[in-house]
Parts: sequence; C-alpha cells; structure tokens
Amino acid sequence: MQAFNILIGGEAGQGLVSIGNILIKAIAKTGWHLFAIQDYESRIRGGHNFIRIRVANKPVFCGERAIDLLVALDDVSLSVHADELKEQAIVIYDPTLVEVPAAANYIGIKYAEVAANLGQPAIMANAAAAGAAWALLSDDLIAVETVLSEVFKNKGQDIVDGNIQCARAGFNIVRSRFNPQVQLEKPEQCESFMVIKGNEALPCGALAAGLKFMSAYPMTPSTGVTEFIALHSEQCGVVMEQAEDEIAAVNMVIGAAFCGVRAMTATSGGGFALMTEALGLAGSAEIPIVVIDAQRPGPSTGLPTRTEQGDLLFAVYGGSGDFPRAVLAPGDVEEAFYVMGTAFNLAEKYQMPVIVLSDQYLADSYQTVASLDPTKIKINRGDIVTETESTVDYLRYRFTESGISPRLYPGVGEGLVVSAGDEHDEAGHLIEDAHIRTKMMQKRMQKLNAAAAEALEPVIYGNTKPELMLIGWGSTKGVIREAVDLLSAQGCAAMAIHLPQVYPLSTKLREYWEMPSKKVIIENNYSGQLQKLLSMELSVTPDFWIRKYDGRPFFAQEIVDQLVGGEANGRKGEI
Amino acid sequence: MAEKVKFNIAKETAWCPGCGNYGILRALARALENLGLRPQEVLFVSGIGQAGKTPHYISGNVLNTLHGRTLPTATGAKIANNELTVIAIGGDGDGYAEGGNHFIHAVRKNVDLTYIVHDNRVFGLTKGQASPSSDLGMITGTTPHGVYNEPFNPLAVAISLNGAFVARAFAGDQEHLQLILQEAITHPGFALIDVLQPCVTFNRVNTYQWYKSRIYDINQDPEYDPSNQKMAWERSWEWGERIPIGVFYRVKRPTLLEHIPALRSGPLVKQPMNSNIDEVLAQFK
Repeated sequence: MQAFNILIGGEAGQGLVSIGNILIKAIAKTGWHLFAIQDYESRIRGGHNFIRIRVANKPVFCGERAIDLLVALDDVSLSVHADELKEQAIVIYDPTLVEVPAAANYIGIKYAEVAANLGQPAIMANAAAAGAAWALLSDDLIAVETVLSEVFKNKGQDIVDGNIQCARAGFNIVRSRFNPQVQLEKPEQCESFMVIKGNEALPCGALAAGLKFMSAYPMTPSTGVTEFIALHSEQCGVVMEQAEDEIAAVNMVIGAAFCGVRAMTATSGGGFALMTEALGLAGSAEIPIVVIDAQRPGPSTGLPTRTEQGDLLFAVYGGSGDFPRAVLAPGDVEEAFYVMGTAFNLAEKYQMPVIVLSDQYLADSYQTVASLDPTKIKINRGDIVTETESTVDYLRYRFTESGISPRLYPGVGEGLVVSAGDEHDEAGHLIEDAHIRTKMMQKRMQKLNAAAAEALEPVIYGNTKPELMLIGWGSTKGVIREAVDLLSAQGCAAMAIHLPQVYPLSTKLREYWEMPSKKVIIENNYSGQLQKLLSMELSVTPDFWIRKYDGRPFFAQEIVDQLVGGEANGRKGEI
Repeated sequence: MAEKVKFNIAKETAWCPGCGNYGILRALARALENLGLRPQEVLFVSGIGQAGKTPHYISGNVLNTLHGRTLPTATGAKIANNELTVIAIGGDGDGYAEGGNHFIHAVRKNVDLTYIVHDNRVFGLTKGQASPSSDLGMITGTTPHGVYNEPFNPLAVAISLNGAFVARAFAGDQEHLQLILQEAITHPGFALIDVLQPCVTFNRVNTYQWYKSRIYDINQDPEYDPSNQKMAWERSWEWGERIPIGVFYRVKRPTLLEHIPALRSGPLVKQPMNSNIDEVLAQFK
C-alpha cells in the first residue's frame, strides 16, 4: 500500500485535535508525506469536527475522500462518513461513546479505561487513541514516542511517561486483537519532514522577510497568524498589538510602516471590508503595508470556519478611487512561506498596499515539506534616502521617471516627511490644482507597470502540449495538480496552471492562454471571480468552468468527474 | 537647554479669519519651542476636518490620515519609532464621532502621545452639522428640531478609563493652553487636551465672549486635587454658568511602550531585521 487515508471525527472538545497532531507529527518524523485537512464548526464544544489525514510514501498535494481508517470519537462520525469508507476500511471506536454493529474490521477500545488502568488521568486517553491508530501504520511506536516526549517535555517526565504508556497500551490492544493487514510501505527516504500549515507558514515567512510590527483583530480563519506572531514576538524582536477593530489594526500598520518598519495585518473577509478605506490611504499616501486576507465564505458573517475563494475581486478592486496594489495567492505552505518575502518587497519597492489571499483550506491544512529556507527570502526595501544624503529639501512625492519617490523615514536626517491621503503636491501638502492632481494620479498608477513586469509567473504542471488546461489560483494549486495526474492516467494530456499572483497579472499568462487547448477555470466561489478578472484584464474566456461554493475544499476526483462526465464544453460545471 | 529652534507657522491657511484654530496653532508652536524640540523630532498625525489641516501649517513631520483614524495611526507610528514626539490632532467630529472607538482604546492602551482635540462643538468642514459635543437644543443642518442626543463628555470618559493626563483648555487663552500643552507632551502616557474652540462661522452659541464669561482655571483652586480620580470625574460634569479649564486628572501608570518586550532594545525602526527565524522554524521539524 502506498497511501492511507485516516479520518478522526468527534465533537469539539473531545481531543481530536490532540490525537491528530500527535499522528501528524509522527507521520512527518517517519518520513512519510502527508496532507491533512481540518474541518471544524463555529463552536467550542459539541458539533461534528474532523481531521482528514492522507499519508503516503510519495508527495501528496491534497486530501482524499475515501477512508482507510476511521477513528470515531462519536456516533455522528460513523453516520456522516459511512459512504466514504473503503470496502476494507477499519474503524477504531470507543464503545463507551459509540454504538456499532459487531464486525471484523471494527475495533473497540475504551480509551479512558486504558488510561485509568494505568493510573493515568483521563486526558491521556488521547495518547491511547493515537497509539491505537498508529498500530495500523507501523509495527513500531518510536515516532509517536518521540513526538509525545517533545510535546510534553515542558510538563515534566511523569507526564511524558504517562502519555507514552497510554499510547503503547492503545497500540498493543490493536496489534493483539487484530493482526493488522494494513501497513503503509516505508517511505522512499527515511528523513523526517517538516510539517506545517498555512497559518504557520505565512507568519514564518513574514518574520523571515523582516516583519517588525503587526496589529490585528481576531477573526477566523486568520487568527492563527496573529497568535503565531504574538507568541514569537519577544523571541523575534517584533511587536504584535491587538487592535480594537480591523480599522484600527490596519491604520496602526500604516502608522508603523510610515515610520520605516515592515508592518502587516491579518484578517478575513468581513474585517478586510472594514480595512478597504485604509487601503486607499496606503495607496494615496504611498505607504507600504501587507494585508493577509484568510478568506472564508461570505457574504456577511458567512460560514466562519469554512473555506472559499470569494474575495478575489474585492481584493483586486475594493476601495474608493484608483490606486496601485498587488494581490498574491499562495497555493501551498511552501508558497505561503516564500510569498511573504515577495509581498513585503513589492509593498516597499512600489510603496503600495499588498494583499495576500489565503483561505481556511490553506490556513488550517498541514503539509509535509523538505525544508523552508529563510535565506532564500531576500529583502529589498526599495528606494530609500539614507541618513548620509542631504535631505533638507526633501520632497516625499517628488516626480520621477518611474513614479517612485525615494522614501525617507521621519526622524532620520534633516528632511521633514509630509504625507497625506488627501490629494497633495510633491511636498505632501494638500492641493486642489487640476494639473498636479492629474500628474499625481499618473505618478502613482504608473508604478503598476514595473510591478506587472516583475509579477510572479504562473506555475505550470503536467503535459506541456496539453489538450486540456486546468487554471486556478491560490489554495486549489495542489488539488488541480492531482486532478491533472488522474487525467493523465486516463490518457488525457492535461496541464495545470496555478496563479500565485492575481494582480497585476504576469504577462506570461497570455502566452499560455494562446496555446491551442481547451481551458477550464476551477474556483472555490459562486461567480467565477478569476474568470471575470481574466475577462477584464486579458479579454479572454475559458471553454468551461468548475465552481464549488458549499464552504468545502475540492477533491481531485470531483474535478475529474466533472470533466469526464461533462458532455459539452461551455457547460457550467457545478459540483 | 539647547538653543530654541523655531516651529514656523504657515502664513496662509484654509481656515476662516478669527477661527479658534489659529490660537491653538500658535500655542502649539510656542510649546514645542519651549520644550527645546526640533521639527525633525516631531510627528504630527491628524485625521480629516478643519483641525486635521493643522499639521500642514506648522513645521514638522506630517501624517495626515483618514477621518477618525488619527489615534491608531499615531499609535503605530509611536511604536515604530518611540524617539519621535507624536502629537495627534483632530476635531470633535473626527475624534469623538468617527473615531470614538479609537479614542476609548487609546486611553486604555496609554500610548505615549499627546492628543489635541479642537472641540468647536460643530462640524466645520462639512458646514455646520451637529457634532457629538454639540449642546442640547442646538439647531443645525442635520438637527432642524435641535440636538437631542446627550452631549459627549470626553473628559469624563478619559477620567473613567484612568487616562494618564486629562485637561481642557481654551483657544482664546493661548498662554494657558501653551503651558497645558507643555505639561501634556512631557507627561508619560496618553494625554488628552480638549480645547474649547470657537467656530466663528457655524457656532453662534459657544463664542469667544460666551466662553470668556464662563471659564475659570481649576488649578487655581487650592481645594482641587488633580490626582483624585473621583474629584476629577465630578468636576468634568460642570458646564453652563461656570466652565472649568486646566488639568483635571493626572496619573503615572505604565505606558503601552513599557509593556512591549521588543522595545527594550531601542526604537523598532533602528533594530536589525534579523529575527531568529531558524529557531522559530525548528519547531516544525
């Protein structure tokens, strides 16, 4: 067996996150690849939450619906996922919590009893459950033991030992009562991987890119970014100040960026809506800020804990008046890490706001990666007036050929820095003059030309002479790639195009578009926002499209089913 | 003390002749000069409104932002470079209506900046509508039947939140205003100076003469104790026949900047961008 799909399901508060985290870390330590999706409800207790972990001995880029092992912490997990169980699927359940028919592939373990028999507290039932699940992956428990030692080392050796005992007991029960047929092939290489989710990769990238100040207001699914920076602020010499609302957050960021530090905020759609006025200020006053929008389904409060790509056009065009900006759309944890360097460089080079579009799927999904190399993030702060230059007659908005006026930080040197969101002259003072207004608009907008010339290029995968081209942006990168693999296996020459930058668009996209193939745009939204964007920016239309807006991420097979089952091009393919 | 450097004042402004803003502008320039500051060391942050234009009329660094957003922007600037003297300037519409939420939280955060509110009790830039501090009954373009919402009392709010420095001054008494400003700028933490400012065009009630016949300096009262929060709160409600000006409340409490570990090694803007990222990434291995 080369791949194995685990689903851990239960109510919020039952410990499934702890069980999932132990397994995820142990899998990465062993050198297996994984992709894990977290699916949770907007509540702290109860409901039905689950984690889907796909383990493989080769790289995997998305989750899979078919389940090999179900770890059920409640009845609902069995009923909701019944149709996802493979024929030979194994179910591990707790008979004190779940009633199931007696069957060979159902293994009942009373986790709390396991812990109690060992004289350990009930909370260690989680370790017993993790150990039990692990028995189906491996014939030794070494990786799980290592993870438990690391996770609990700050709580003392007793806690570490107790958890290991419980994990071992769970592991032994499965192996004694049931001779596991399922054992995943050992990884091709036994080096351990990093395992990280989007909400960790983004802030790590920001830190590597020289972030010094962050302000934010908590909003799911972006809160992980904010808490990550807050947690590491002292260690990294960074400030994270929680704001009274998203308006305050982005304006604090503007104040800090104006004074010369790299600054960002993170939010989701509703909070981003509150920030759009300030985006215009950053555009007009030419202040470099970075805004992470971790999208969730809207409109309004929408589905707070679910995923969607519904803010694309809002990010690209939202705001009063015209101002330059860039919008980036990382597709996986690796891109999420490195794109933060691009975001800050673009922001400072072109003195404009840069928006990074994440979403709940990217934010909360774990992926294994070989490494993330901070030295690959090169810091380019753009055109800065240094302390040694004469700044006495400094003009903050001096007209230049490129439209970029060198920045001076207030309090550095003799020059005075005058900035305004009102229309202003070269000195930064307020004007009403029609001629200067025209020149200022042109100066600002002109910066986009150079920004477009260095836009991140589309990332292609698959057949380079395709009959079918699957185009997406942001977090669909992995799932579209796997759809291409499935199509290729069926003899279809397919290519994936992922756009890590959606505005301004790379000129390379038109080159790909001119290739003679059918084009399909795949998006996690209702109205086809990328399709509209390409229509406006490039005047192109795809042959057909696939959209999903139920708050859940795509599976690769869903995409293939739509393509293969679709009778006519131009058909609106809704899953 | 080093030789005084002049804070130049613009000869031409967009304000009406006789506007209370002129008095505030002159007192501010004098206060900064007296404190021995140089324009390069000062950052004026303002929002939108007639008061929001003030920074453009005095020498210094300027960040003229959005309506109501003066305080968060000034907070971010101060955190980024705590060597700057940050003066936030706005009006009653800007600060108490559009920016009301930020006002409350800036007092709570106790960020080390001076907040001057040109309180003319009316919207000047949009031509005379009621503001949060307009007196009850005042007839304006948006309140043809008279203002019926309870006037906002910024002093009572700031004192209730244990604001570090809470004062009121009068644009028609520049000498007093200048002294209050000097004290506010040197006081650690958030300093509010609500300045009674006659609007000669749109407010025919609260005129220079109206104020002059009512104001008195509370700090001349030997019984008054500006370290007593309860006394300050009670006095902040006095309005009508007699209107108190002066320092209502003054307390030393830790400022926002003192709570931030990263600022112990100097201004953020002068710190290296290296951030121990390798240590941070190690947890994912």
